[in-house]
Formats: sequence, C-alpha cells, structure tokens
Amino acid sequence: MSLRFLRVMASRWTRLVLVGLIFLGIQTTVLSEMRPFGVMVQLMLLIGVTAGAIYGPEVGALSGLIVGLMYDCVLTTPLGLTSLVVGGVSFGAGLLPFFVREPSWWNRAIVIALFSAIGEMLFPVAQGMTGLGGWVQPRMFVVALVVALINLFLAPIVMPLIRWTLKQSMIG
Amino acid sequence: MAVISPQRRRAIALLALTSIILVTLDLQQSGSTSAVRAVFGVFFRPVEGVARVVTRPVSNAWNGITNYNDVTAENRLLREKIAQQEGASVAAAASVRLSQELLALNGLPTLAGINSVSAQVIGDSPSNFAQSVEINQGSESGIKVGMPVLNAAGLVGKITKVFANRAVIMLITDPEYALSVKVVNTPKTTASTVADPEAALIETTTTVPITTVPVATTSKIPGFTPGSTVPTAVITAPNAAVAVPSLTIPAGSSLAVRETGVLEGRGPSRTPIVRFIDTEQRFGEIQLGSPIVSAGGSLSLAPPDIVVGTVTRVNKRLGTAGPVLEIGLVADLSNLSFVRILLYQPITEQQAP
Repeated sequence: MSLRFLRVMASRWTRLVLVGLIFLGIQTTVLSEMRPFGVMVQLMLLIGVTAGAIYGPEVGALSGLIVGLMYDCVLTTPLGLTSLVVGGVSFGAGLLPFFVREPSWWNRAIVIALFSAIGEMLFPVAQGMTGLGGWVQPRMFVVALVVALINLFLAPIVMPLIRWTLKQSMIG
Repeated sequence: MAVISPQRRRAIALLALTSIILVTLDLQQSGSTSAVRAVFGVFFRPVEGVARVVTRPVSNAWNGITNYNDVTAENRLLREKIAQQEGASVAAAASVRLSQELLALNGLPTLAGINSVSAQVIGDSPSNFAQSVEINQGSESGIKVGMPVLNAAGLVGKITKVFANRAVIMLITDPEYALSVKVVNTPKTTASTVADPEAALIETTTTVPITTVPVATTSKIPGFTPGSTVPTAVITAPNAAVAVPSLTIPAGSSLAVRETGVLEGRGPSRTPIVRFIDTEQRFGEIQLGSPIVSAGGSLSLAPPDIVVGTVTRVNKRLGTAGPVLEIGLVADLSNLSFVRILLYQPITEQQAP
C-alpha cells in the first residue's frame, strides 16, 4: 500500500499536476493583468505543447488533456473543451520526430510556437462548435500570432522544466 | 519512432472521452460539472492566493511601465471631467430623486428599491476568448445567476456562475451576452433647449413657485437633461396669485420616444450593437448620443432604466430590417475595481416563500 502510494506520488503525472497548479496560479493572477498587445499569454497551452514536443505524441496528448482539464476548471467555457483542444494540439506537436530525426532545441521551439498558434485558433472554433459562437473573428489571428511569438520566446525557458517534470523516475 | 503503448492509448482515449462527456454535461447545465469546479477550487484557491501575493510586485511593475502615460493623461482628463460634472450632478441627483418619488408614488419599480451588494473585482478572465471577471462575493451574500451588475457609470454585465464566496460576471461585451434595451430617441425636429435661463427662471418662479428651479445643466445625451425645464410648454394659470396647482407638461413633440431592441456583445475589440429596432415614423431618425437603458419586463434579467450607453453609430439597413446601432458603453470595462450587484430577479423567476 505504502509503496503504491509512493509510486503514485513520485509519478510524472503527479508532478505535472503540481507544476500545472503553479502555472495555473500564475496564469490567473499576474498574466491576466500582463497582456502584451491586449493578448493573454497561454501558459497551460505552452505546457501541453512543450510536453508533446519533448516526449512525443502520447505523453503530449496525456499532458495536454490533464493541464487542459485543470485550465477548464477556472474558465467559463464548457468543462472539457480546453482539455480536448490542448490535448489535440499537444498530440500534434509530438509528431515532430516523424519529420525531424533528432530535433534541436530551436526546432522544438518553432514547433511549440506553431502549435501554440494552432491551439489558440482552435479555441474559438471549438467554442463555436458547442454553440458559443461569436469568437471566430479576425482578431483571433492576431491573438494566435502574439501567443505564438510569446511561446517561442518562453519555450527555451519552459523546456527544461517540462523535461524535469515529465522525467520517468525510478519509483514512478 | 516508438509505437504508442496500449496502456497509454487507453489512458488517452479515457481522458478524451471524459472531456467529451464533461462538455456534454456542462452544456446540459449539469450540477456535476459545477461540483468538479468547486472541488478543484478548494485545492487551487490557496495556490492562486500565494501566486497573487508573490507576483504582485511583477504585475505592479508591469502596470507602472506600460500604463504610466495613460494613467497621467487619464488623471488630467478626469480632473477636467469632475469639474464639469460637479454642477450637473447636483441637478441630476435632484431629478433622479424626483423621478423615483414619482415612480414610487405610482407603485412602479425603481432601482432605489432594489437591494444590492457591493463587491470587489479580484480577477479577469484567464482566457483570450471570454469576457468575464471574478468578484469576491457569492451565494452567501444572496447573489444568484442572472443578476445584473453595475458600476458607478452603468451596466457592466450579469452573473453567470456563483460559488459560496465568489462569482463570475459575464461582461456586456461577451458575444454570449444579450439584453432587452430601450433606445431613448429625441428626433432633431423636436429638440428644445432653454434659450435664456434667466428668462426661464423669472417665468417659472413667478408662475409656479414650487415646481422647478432651472439650473444650467449640461448633458451630452440628447433627451436626457436632468433638471431642465421646457419654457414653451409651461401651462400656467392666468393669475399666478391663485393657489391652483399648475401643471408642467412638456409639449408632445418634445417628448423623447422610446423603442426597444436587443443589445448584443461582440467581443472586446468591437462595440456592442442593438438590433431589432422598429423603423417607425414616430421614432424618427435616431440621433447619435441617444441613451440606451435596460428595458426591464417580467422576463428580463435586469430591471428597467439601468443606463447602458449611448448610440455612437447608426447602420441603416434596407427594407424593414431596421437599423443596427453601435453602442458606446458608459462603463469602462477595461478598468473595473468595484461593482454593485442588484439582488433583482424577474417576477417569473421569483419563488414563493
């Protein structure tokens, strides 16, 4: 029993949830005020996409679904919607090794920025599919561009953190 | 390239399926999704509180760097506005009080008769595709979903989610927001102004000693000049000394005409619009600056006559479609600090005790 508990606590997914909570705290406080060009930085999307770019599609999809679900809990959109979007784009970001055999850090950073932009554009589309229309506007391209540029800048900082978070431990 | 393990494939499928089920449940207004959010909130709020304290210097520095020029310019502008408004506010307050007394006398609902709760805005929406803010009051203060939210200027939005000690407000600019409103139009031909305040003073004080004291009120909203009188429409008794109560009636042509429509938000980058305005002859050409107030009614979530904004643009359409009005909101939604929640529910939603 205690070994099982220890295994759960030491697993990469527990670490992801804890790191995700901290990132979500930053997202809902300081980043909701700091809006460069009126656009909010998307840290939760960054976590999912970075996990995909580093560890591949399966870990990316799982990470994206988990952090997306956490993000969903503080949003007013239907619960689970962001989870699907972040999970999907994180899976997509994980397909990088299909195209580049040994991607360098800047390859990953570009993929992170690209899939962040795709994810950010998918949010209003997904909202529209559930009946929450009105957000598919020209503005979403500006939002996606700004989010992509910011995530391109943040990717080299976040990558080592996500690498540590999702590292497979001996116990986990 | 590693093949996806069956175990992880199952986990991905399970999580994706869970998300789809949650979306479905949430769209059906299921209580279980609110419970999930509430449980998550129990763990997350302490983390958020710590993050707020730790990151406050960073956000303060950011605001100091990015908003300094705006704040100084705004401060200067506000000082000028305060000076302009000081005189008008006294007259407006008197006019509002008089109006409320008249409404109360006739048994009509007034905003003053509705209880309210003040709340502080504690957070913006953490998303680029939602126009909402969070406040520090909830169901424990009597707040319920749908209640209208105001600030000192006017309508801000409505409550969409309520927890014990906090609630989420959907702002007017959210594309999901819709409200029945009235456009108070004063056609150009019927505009009347006090040409000579002194003359009006003499006339009204000699003939109607009790009724009005003309004041030099100024308002940019046509048809909404609190405290002003219409000298041409004053019907007085021939002999002022006779103690017959005189009646002050604005000329029929000077009355502001009201027409209802539906206000809809369009996101932060576009101004809200009012649609479904009837193009009646009597309504005339809609003037820019005409005030927009809530329409009220037994089904409306907001009581009547809450100021929403003014008409900034009239987009005419062919046929009987009626014009689409672009609205300049009176409340500054980008800078909300304190708000007031009217504890108002339409008659149709009030439960019998």
